[in-house]
Amino acid sequence: MTRVPLEQKVLSENDRAAAELREQFRASGTLCLNIIGSPGCGKTALLEKTLAAMDPYARVAVLTGDIQTDADAQRLGRYGFPARQITTGGACHLDARMIVRSLSGWLTGDVDLLFIENVGNLVCPTSYDLGEHAKIVVLSAAEGEEKPLKYPGIFYKSELMVLSKVDLLPYVPFDRELAIRNARATNPAIEVVEVSATTGQGIDGWLQWIARRRSAAGLRVS
Amino acid sequence: MHEFGIAQSILEAVRTEAAKHPGARAVKVGVRIGPMAGVDRESLSFCFQAAAEMDGDAGLALELEEGASDELDLKYIELEEP
Repeated sequence: MTRVPLEQKVLSENDRAAAELREQFRASGTLCLNIIGSPGCGKTALLEKTLAAMDPYARVAVLTGDIQTDADAQRLGRYGFPARQITTGGACHLDARMIVRSLSGWLTGDVDLLFIENVGNLVCPTSYDLGEHAKIVVLSAAEGEEKPLKYPGIFYKSELMVLSKVDLLPYVPFDRELAIRNARATNPAIEVVEVSATTGQGIDGWLQWIARRRSAAGLRVS
Repeated sequence: MHEFGIAQSILEAVRTEAAKHPGARAVKVGVRIGPMAGVDRESLSFCFQAAAEMDGDAGLALELEEGASDELDLKYIELEEP
């Protein structure tokens, strides 16, 4: 019996594709944000509000993943920016190879900002590097404040928690301070923005976070 | 449930490594998983068994070790040489 030591990532194939994407984003000056949250937490609504708030000449694009239907690409395509659906046909997450395939031959010019809306899921997308600059977790006030403790992986890997649907706070038994405390117990460095896609509250703060992240990535602030 | 995909990635890596040792048969693979990796160990073991059987590698064992943070690494494979 011979034991051969290996020092490699289990997902090294994915990581190779992610490295290719990272290089592509660096060359095109694109900030790529990977948005992750449970089904119904408001990822698409957040992106709709974000696109609606953008300068119409901004160079922004969205890839959106779902198991079935192109409903989200249709919703997101109404704002004048390129939006493309990735239908995984069963897979509960996006992987880097799906992103490589979807980007190939799609956009006619470079974009400054690429949003990837992951498949609604707090677990599986955590493991897959998509070459993004940052993972962002969306947690809604309609969920439980204990989610960061139940699903620590995604909160650990995210730079930012978007607390969504904050317009519901007066009506639901959700303790926002406890939710933030729980997120920071998992990841002390996680930043938080609170938004409502319905009222527009906090969207400015979210856009400012994106601009700061662009400059932190050494990219031009548009 | 992405553990099946992870199981397939492990099997792929085992095959690639075993191919470098002609005639040898892989009997065990060691994987280290951290608590933040977002991978369920029990589910991964179950999927690994199923995926290995589908590939005709039913004799291949998976040994999971406790890792740090979001580690999801292959540590070793054990080969039976002819």
